[in-house]
Amino acid sequence: MKLPQFDYQAPQTIAEAIELLAKYEDDASVLAGGQSLIPLLALRLARPAVLIDINGVSDLAGLSLAHGQVTIGTLTREYRAEESDVVADRLPLLAAALPLIGHAAIRSRGTVGGSLAHGDPAAELPAVALALDATFVVRGATGERIIKAPDWFEGYLTTARRPDELLIEVRFPAAGPGTGASFVEVARRHGDFAIVGLATSLTLADGRISDARLALAGVSDVPVRAAEAEDVLIGEQPSAALFGEAARRATAGLDPPADLHGSADYRTKIAATLIRRGLRGAADNASERQANG
Amino acid sequence: MAIVAERYTGASIRRSEDPRILTGAGRYVDDVKLPGMLHAAFVRSPLAHAQVRSIDVSAARDLPGVVAVFTGAEIEDMTVPGPDPLVAFFGDTGPTPEFTLLATDKVRLVGDPVAIVVAESRYLAEDGCDLVEVEYDELAPVASAAAALDPASPPLFANLGSNIAREHPRAEFGDVAAAFAQADRVFDFHIDVHRHQNVPMEGRGCVASYDPQTAVMTFYAATQGVHVTKMGIVMRLGIEPDKVHVLAGDIGGSFGLKIGVSREELAAAAASRAVARPVKWTEDRGENLTASGQAREESFDVRAAVSNDGDLLGLDVRMVVDTGSYPSMGAMLAGIVQAMLPGPYKLAAMGFEATAVTTNKAPYVAYRGPWASETFVRERVLDLIAHELGLDPVEIRRRNIAPRTEPPAVMVTGRPLVGVTTMESLERVAELADFPAFRRRQAAARIEGRHLGIGVATFIEAAPGPRSQDGPSDPEGMEAMRLRLDGDGVVVLFTGQMPHGQSHQTTLAQIAADEFGVPFDQVRVVVGDSDLVPFGLTGGSRFATMTGGVALHGTRQLKAKVLDFASHLMEVSAQDLQITDGNIWVRGDPESAIAVTEIARQAASGDFGPGVDANLEVEAAYDGGAGGWSGGTHCAIVEVDVETGLVSVERYIVTEDCGALINPAVVEGQIRGGVAQGIGAVLLERSAYDEFGNFQSATFMDYLMPTACDIPRIEIEHLETVPLDADVNFRGVGEGGMIVAPPTIVNAIEDALSPFGVRIYEQHLPPARILELISMARRAS
Amino acid sequence: MVDITLTVNGAIRTGSAEARKTLADYLRDDLELTGTHVGCEHGVCGACTVIVDGLPVRSCLMLAVQAAGSEVTTIEGLAPDGGLGPLQQAMWDSHSFQCGFCTPGFVMQATALLSHHPDADEQQIREALSGNICRCTGYQSIIDGVLLAARRLRQPAGQGE
Repeated sequence: MKLPQFDYQAPQTIAEAIELLAKYEDDASVLAGGQSLIPLLALRLARPAVLIDINGVSDLAGLSLAHGQVTIGTLTREYRAEESDVVADRLPLLAAALPLIGHAAIRSRGTVGGSLAHGDPAAELPAVALALDATFVVRGATGERIIKAPDWFEGYLTTARRPDELLIEVRFPAAGPGTGASFVEVARRHGDFAIVGLATSLTLADGRISDARLALAGVSDVPVRAAEAEDVLIGEQPSAALFGEAARRATAGLDPPADLHGSADYRTKIAATLIRRGLRGAADNASERQANG
Repeated sequence: MAIVAERYTGASIRRSEDPRILTGAGRYVDDVKLPGMLHAAFVRSPLAHAQVRSIDVSAARDLPGVVAVFTGAEIEDMTVPGPDPLVAFFGDTGPTPEFTLLATDKVRLVGDPVAIVVAESRYLAEDGCDLVEVEYDELAPVASAAAALDPASPPLFANLGSNIAREHPRAEFGDVAAAFAQADRVFDFHIDVHRHQNVPMEGRGCVASYDPQTAVMTFYAATQGVHVTKMGIVMRLGIEPDKVHVLAGDIGGSFGLKIGVSREELAAAAASRAVARPVKWTEDRGENLTASGQAREESFDVRAAVSNDGDLLGLDVRMVVDTGSYPSMGAMLAGIVQAMLPGPYKLAAMGFEATAVTTNKAPYVAYRGPWASETFVRERVLDLIAHELGLDPVEIRRRNIAPRTEPPAVMVTGRPLVGVTTMESLERVAELADFPAFRRRQAAARIEGRHLGIGVATFIEAAPGPRSQDGPSDPEGMEAMRLRLDGDGVVVLFTGQMPHGQSHQTTLAQIAADEFGVPFDQVRVVVGDSDLVPFGLTGGSRFATMTGGVALHGTRQLKAKVLDFASHLMEVSAQDLQITDGNIWVRGDPESAIAVTEIARQAASGDFGPGVDANLEVEAAYDGGAGGWSGGTHCAIVEVDVETGLVSVERYIVTEDCGALINPAVVEGQIRGGVAQGIGAVLLERSAYDEFGNFQSATFMDYLMPTACDIPRIEIEHLETVPLDADVNFRGVGEGGMIVAPPTIVNAIEDALSPFGVRIYEQHLPPARILELISMARRAS
Repeated sequence: MVDITLTVNGAIRTGSAEARKTLADYLRDDLELTGTHVGCEHGVCGACTVIVDGLPVRSCLMLAVQAAGSEVTTIEGLAPDGGLGPLQQAMWDSHSFQCGFCTPGFVMQATALLSHHPDADEQQIREALSGNICRCTGYQSIIDGVLLAARRLRQPAGQGE
């Protein structure tokens, strides 16, 4: 289980990285944290001719809050985001999801942008980005594009990034005090990829739900927004009955994949359970955050 | 860091293995690095069942860094044909499938090795493998026991003519017909045990180093016994025994996998001889999961004859075992399953028959308690019957366990239940778990929608087993040991045991230090060198009695010899001498003390003429003395989330009797580790194949082992009830946890799901299956 | 081949390796630090965990070349004089391990945990170590070793257990 041969390139600037991508396009893979790519290489399931290691591009790491949005550079390590006060205060959904990603030693290296660019439909961060309508900034030789989350995830491990483009940063709308979140999942073991996961963000105003965002992981080849559930929730007061109805609506049309860990039917069932539990958790979190101002 | 104790045996002495292990100074086989060493990788079949039409290795041979490539046919020319060395070692006498070390004409499982590439690095060897082109003609896969039983299935081995590897003819013990005739109730159950596997953290591996000058094959192995490995090399490489030297250092776990020498290791040895350079093969995790071997996968049709009061009067059992592709121990399993099936119960009649089949899966290897399914079936059946009769799981066992009597009750299959304390362990575990209090808590929790369950199960383990009339207690025979007092005063024990986590170097030193009268640090235990150690094998939980016993008696022999020698020097009768704290002295005269080190030095340095034996070395052998059983009762409390199917083990209690404890911390480590594997088997681990024989669990993302979040604290209480032997009452404890944890957990899960009327006839219960069982029960009611 | 200079266990080590070589293989093969073990090579079992610039990292999921310029600590570097550090001592006292193959990964992961969270309780320790697989022990003895080390580290010497 050894990595195949590849040409190794380690650009130090964004410009150099983009130049290399323009040169090699499909022949290249971008190495960020490597926590998904290196296993694929070790299993020889990925065999890029060129590996472009962006870990030396310091401009790609960073996390900032401005104009109501939190911008996270693609190379920001997951542990850094986990430790960030900005994330804790203004991105409660991301804060809830980060500790569920693998294990501590994975988050030491793994990057926020790397996970989103890898686009695993069972991973936590894609569901978070979709739920929050994050925007993705990519840059290539021909310039910069801004892509909304629903357009970013195109298929299994496939995103809207073109082979000659680099994901530069991801922008998340910052949450106010009335917004609470939860990330719940069913995984075989602590730290495993979820069989099904759910990102939930709820905003409460005067005891009623004014904004609801739910995205499921593990139920399709891309993360899936539970729009039918959201529609049911808006304007209502949180209650078990309401959450049950949201779960029914959201799972009615699901057609999840099956694998060793769960059939389609199983995934549908636990998606409903997670929606009930996730909404309860997010509502409680919203009340708490409101109380703490 | 000297370790001092009044008496070492019975105390949780810190392990002498640990200082090296905790500092990274352990030496595992992959740490061996020899000058000029090459690295091997195998080209493996992507198909479960196929004819090999052609193999082209030219591109691989041309790759810079690749030193040699050998196809299966070439390896065949370089080795001696014959049976699997391990099967030969176990003395199996059934029909023998014909096959080659590496596949030649045919592949029989995904991962079957067809060629070996030897290169300057493992990276390059794998690059070479990528360049080997093999053309296959696919055959219909035999991917299940049901397929194998179909006479139309294409036989894996042409010379067997079918996929029936072995029929174990029906045997009856007691009056089976009468038991069923007098039964109030007769129940039929079909019970499945799923395939799972050893997965030691270190895979298999070796460094084979053939020296063309001396014609000696030095073989660094990860093995459970250097001599068993040596036998295989002698057999299949055709090298004289005195030209094979097998060495083993630290071994990263095994659990039955590393008995003997594998096909891959033999191919690496053949390659080393051919290229006259050392060749290392380190099994990677993909190879380990796919091709090293797997275990279990038996199904049972059980008829149970029962009285209305819950007395189990008779069992009639038919087993089918899926032994996978190449022969290992699967075909030999039926005999021991049959022997152990009655367990510690009064069962008076039993019929048993079995069929072993070959399929296109990994070979069936020994895995911690290879016969464990007998316990699963029996303990599951008892609970199923208890449900039907409205009995408590403790009550039905209480009714059926054979109480301790003199003379002891005899299992219907023949062996006496000497010193078996199952009843005591059951009563104690019931007390510790406090069943009435649990039932109240369970009822309260159910009102809140929480589903708790409790399960118990009992087992006995022949470790080594009671003394038989006609031979040693342990079926693998006598245990040998060489012992000597070195010139530096250290008592050295040479054992053929090959510890791979069991702490043998510590526990043998404890016994020898006490028996000889020297400090713990003045004992050294030598393992892992075929030129130095006597024949032996770590396995079958034989160590405690057999090796502990030979260490005790051998040390006694050595001590007598040392005292005899000392008596000449000290000019007193040996009977008047004693050894304590490393000093030899005349009883009643502390002034007379001479250090053992001094006596040893003198023995090593001097010539004492005839009549004085200064060769302070002995060879000892031990037959197991009175032998005896290990056993006990386990109890689990679980909570099932009936909305997700996730199971958490809240509490796990063990009451266990393995006789006298040599080192309680070591014993408890063995029990906890076994229980963890059993919990893993039920909740997480499965070696999964699809209908085409494609292996589905080839990475650690798919083969899931329990982690620190999955295993609870395991409470252990030791019973040391019945001394059977004047000196040696240690009994083996390596396998029991793994044997009894699966039924304990499944029984608890069924109890948790009793409001739904769920009945469980299988061993593997991942969350998705739990929800299916609930749905099925709901539909049925 | 790529030139690599890094600090390992306090010493500067210079060499070169193929870019595709993992840090785990580089430590073991090139630097002959075989205390770091390779258990799965796809980032799940945790046996190869080392500390890179203060953080626990799976050395099978990092290229050696990526560690250039970093400070790496392996199990060989925990106690400089060949003795045992406080965590290792506590693990010895607790009979933490059996076969020892997973040991380096656990010791390094636990070292990182205790340096960041000296007050970790049992549940936190279990979660932090849940990315390391041990096949022998059932974990309890390992958890007990970490708890014992944490307790000793919190108490100044001489004040008992």
